[in-house]
Amino acid sequence: MKKESLGYVVIFTFVVCALFVFVLAAANQFTKAQATANREFTEKAAVLDALGIAWNDKAQAASIYDAQVTRIDGSSPRAYRSTIDGTEYLAVEQSGAGLWGTITIILAATPDAGRIRGIQLIAQNETPGLGGRIGEAWFLSQFRGEKSDGGVRVATGAESKGTGDTNPDNGVLDGVSGASRTSSAFEAIVNNALKRVRAVAGGTL
Amino acid sequence: MKNSKTLAILKDNLWTNNPIFIQILGICSTLAVTNNLRNTVVMTLGVSFATALGSMTLSAMKDLIPRKVRMIIQVLVLSFFVILIDILLRAYLPEVSKQLGPYVGLIITNCILMGRAEAFAQANKPLLSFWDGLTSGLGYMAVLLAIAVVRELLGFGTLFGLRIMPEGFVTWTIMIMAPSAFFLAAMVMWWAKNKQAARAAKAKAPTQGGKA
Repeated sequence: MKKESLGYVVIFTFVVCALFVFVLAAANQFTKAQATANREFTEKAAVLDALGIAWNDKAQAASIYDAQVTRIDGSSPRAYRSTIDGTEYLAVEQSGAGLWGTITIILAATPDAGRIRGIQLIAQNETPGLGGRIGEAWFLSQFRGEKSDGGVRVATGAESKGTGDTNPDNGVLDGVSGASRTSSAFEAIVNNALKRVRAVAGGTL
Repeated sequence: MKNSKTLAILKDNLWTNNPIFIQILGICSTLAVTNNLRNTVVMTLGVSFATALGSMTLSAMKDLIPRKVRMIIQVLVLSFFVILIDILLRAYLPEVSKQLGPYVGLIITNCILMGRAEAFAQANKPLLSFWDGLTSGLGYMAVLLAIAVVRELLGFGTLFGLRIMPEGFVTWTIMIMAPSAFFLAAMVMWWAKNKQAARAAKAKAPTQGGKA
């Protein structure tokens, strides 16, 4: 068969596509268990971090999670319940639009959503160095213990110092300098998560 | 003979025909990743490996590929390696995979991959094509690292996340944003072209002198 004939072109393209896709599918299948285990660990670690429960290694994180956190059955997106030092907390997974892509967080708070326990970032596609800084410790740690009176506000522009708000009772956090849109998007996601915490506490899954 | 060819390819891809400042390829990623050295290193390593492996595979099968569909096959093979890297990272280096996020997928949009497949792998042997892909990636890496050092140092005051500038240093926000990569890349191009032009003029000078 001639190399440039229609039959050869069709058969060649089909065979090459099938071959390469097969190898990819095989690689995906072969690593699936490992990838799922990694994802589950990431999720458990994120819930523990949001709840402010310390852990050292993978095995320890799994055992602490199993002992202290329960996933609320039927909740979608996922919601969790945990009791720390006699106080009950709820944690919820919340996604929302950022500037470029979806931002997903785990937020832990008291069941009345009056005080945030902590926030952990699961996924984001914001501009590295600007909006991407919402994953940095100074930004996320300012939410720890923050009071919420029907929601919190992430300051942008001149109002934000860009270094992290230190007052846990004002319900205001510092946004990322140069990333006002991402900061505002993050505020909306946090406030939606707080609403969800109240809903879950009220029995709506 | 063979050694001189491999050396010539190395010199060509690093300097005389550098993908960034001579061929002007891969500029999108130059703007996107160079505000941070860590991302730059990972991105350029990914591009180097994908170009090298892709070029080698395409070169090995070049006699079988009909001309009509060669670009489709090139895209298929190159994206195959990019997705494979993504799958392996996700399973075995989840931390790196998480930090890279969308960058791995973006490797395929880099023109250097297609450029080397079209310009070199089509007409050369597999091993030489592998070397060409790898050195093209290194030429790309050298320029991007140089730009990233300036951008991260002035934009964040850090290198690889480690604080270098004194505490009171006022960071240049423009260095974090894409425009700074435009003018830094342009400065690199200007410097390299000037240097090469000066060298060419020097090489020509004796004959011109003789004529005069």
